[in-house]
Amino acid sequence: MAKSAALEAPRGQARLRRTRAVREGLEAYAFLAPALLLLIVFLLLPAFWVFGLSLFRWDLISSNPDYVGLANFDRLLGRDELFRKSVFQTVYFVAVTVPVSMALGLLMAVLLNAKMPGRDFMRTAIFTPYVMPLVATVIIWSFMFHPYAGVFNAVLNAFHLPKLNWLDNPRTVLPAIIFYSVWQHTGYNVVIFLAGLANIPPELQEAARVDGARAWSRFWRLTWPLLAPTTYFVLLVSIIGSFKVIVPILVFTGGVGGTGSGGGPDNAAETIGYYLYTQAFYSFHAGYAGAISVLLFLIILAVTFVQMGVLSRRVFYS
Amino acid sequence: MNRTARTALSLLPRYVVMVPLTLAILFPFYWMFVISLSTLDKVFTFPPILYPLWHWENFPVAWGSLPDPSTGSFLHIPWARYFFNTVLVATTTTALVLATSVLAGYAFAAMRFPGKRLLFGLVLAVYMVPTEVTLVPNFIIVKNLGWIDTYWAQIFPFGASVFGIFLMRQFFLTLPKDLWEAAQLDGCSHLRYLWSIAIRLAAPPLITIAIFHFVLSWNAFLWPLIVTNSDAVRPIQVGLTSFSYADATNPVLHAAGSLMATLPILAVFLLAQRYLVGGIASTGIRG
Repeated sequence: MAKSAALEAPRGQARLRRTRAVREGLEAYAFLAPALLLLIVFLLLPAFWVFGLSLFRWDLISSNPDYVGLANFDRLLGRDELFRKSVFQTVYFVAVTVPVSMALGLLMAVLLNAKMPGRDFMRTAIFTPYVMPLVATVIIWSFMFHPYAGVFNAVLNAFHLPKLNWLDNPRTVLPAIIFYSVWQHTGYNVVIFLAGLANIPPELQEAARVDGARAWSRFWRLTWPLLAPTTYFVLLVSIIGSFKVIVPILVFTGGVGGTGSGGGPDNAAETIGYYLYTQAFYSFHAGYAGAISVLLFLIILAVTFVQMGVLSRRVFYS
Repeated sequence: MNRTARTALSLLPRYVVMVPLTLAILFPFYWMFVISLSTLDKVFTFPPILYPLWHWENFPVAWGSLPDPSTGSFLHIPWARYFFNTVLVATTTTALVLATSVLAGYAFAAMRFPGKRLLFGLVLAVYMVPTEVTLVPNFIIVKNLGWIDTYWAQIFPFGASVFGIFLMRQFFLTLPKDLWEAAQLDGCSHLRYLWSIAIRLAAPPLITIAIFHFVLSWNAFLWPLIVTNSDAVRPIQVGLTSFSYADATNPVLHAAGSLMATLPILAVFLLAQRYLVGGIASTGIRG
């Protein structure tokens, strides 16, 4: 009797522990269920589905999508002049917006990285465009780009330069939107760069200063290499963000509500994202839009992986 | 020269660059203000008038409670409805994000279950999916759910947040294990412990997530533009663009409308910017 009771007790405890573990597991799944369900239904599933969708021709309305194989990609990459144009213009948009907003962001972060009165105010002010509604800020900027009375033309006029028809000229519409995007995005870069700068031990700067290094060489020899992880991060986020640009193009070029020349005069502001949007929701070419989405997705993944590769090889200080 | 004077002098170059840059960045907001208080015949004069003309009546005119002086008729823009829709969608979405983030973040931080690393990896992988790419399939999903032109379509797709889950997990990981063990000895379940102890300590991450998603939801434009088609459920951002063709002739009222749509979120941002900027700086997350 005494012996079997002694054997029973640990076995009972083990069973108790096992039931408790099973219960905790089930409870954990219940805790995870709402979040995972939403993430899977509205992000993961569509991310896979878009590949399937790209193989069909479908107007979003009829009940039977036609399977067309790779025909959408064939047309997109081979014959679609507008898509080609949108790719070049997107690359142009990214290639100007990203370096300019990063350089400006880094400059402002370095200047604000000191104990100085008004620092927090300036940081908040610079960050504000990033959190304000795009539609409202684009509306204001389109007043500023007004062909007759806009403030930018007033500036040009002050320098005795001819006025520009910013948003209605194929040569200036994209630069104008780039200008807006730099304004809109730089504050984000400032915040991230400031956080990166705060991680650099001040003793290092102090030591370099004591050694007589000038501010310029302190920046390039010390701050810049130590900031590399932050810089790569900002670069990645900015490139991806700019590649996807839709809304500024949509609102600036009057594509909302079917008025105005969506995509700018002569489609000079057409980007991949905007083309995807119009193909899906104006022309109702769901499959074709799916193919554009797939290409955009692949570009973004490629950028991500290239940069993660660079990051793991070249950055030692994180 | 004493020390304070020398420090002040060494900071001078920073101010010389930063003050003009900051003012330039703020200028468009000032300009929104100036135009919204201008008049139809003064707004497009050249050179532009750089100071406000203080026509406060533009706001009641844009709202539709006073007649438009240039046409003599009232504007019929359902601002109140738009604001109501935006506030409703933004608060519900935020509440949903908080609930799903707290539960999932807690499970990932404090509970043991099979497949934990795999599922967490899945959550992080989802973060790489750009919403622009999933626009079309998501539209089809929402359409099949019968959610076109409803609040649901504007709430549920944004009801879970990788950022939120990650931030809550990081927070719950910092809570001392003893706290849970003591609570467990007192017969506390996970849910009870989470609700009555852990969550009471979690104000900073909760506020960061709430502000972030409230702002995101308030500013949402493209998705609601696609999935709504009636004023009954449309948010203010989409309403603003319908304004642009309903009354394209009067930019002053357009600016007044933009300002009305911006002020509430500007207030939220200024009140809470410490948390927002802090959260973005620590995680780098973006909208």
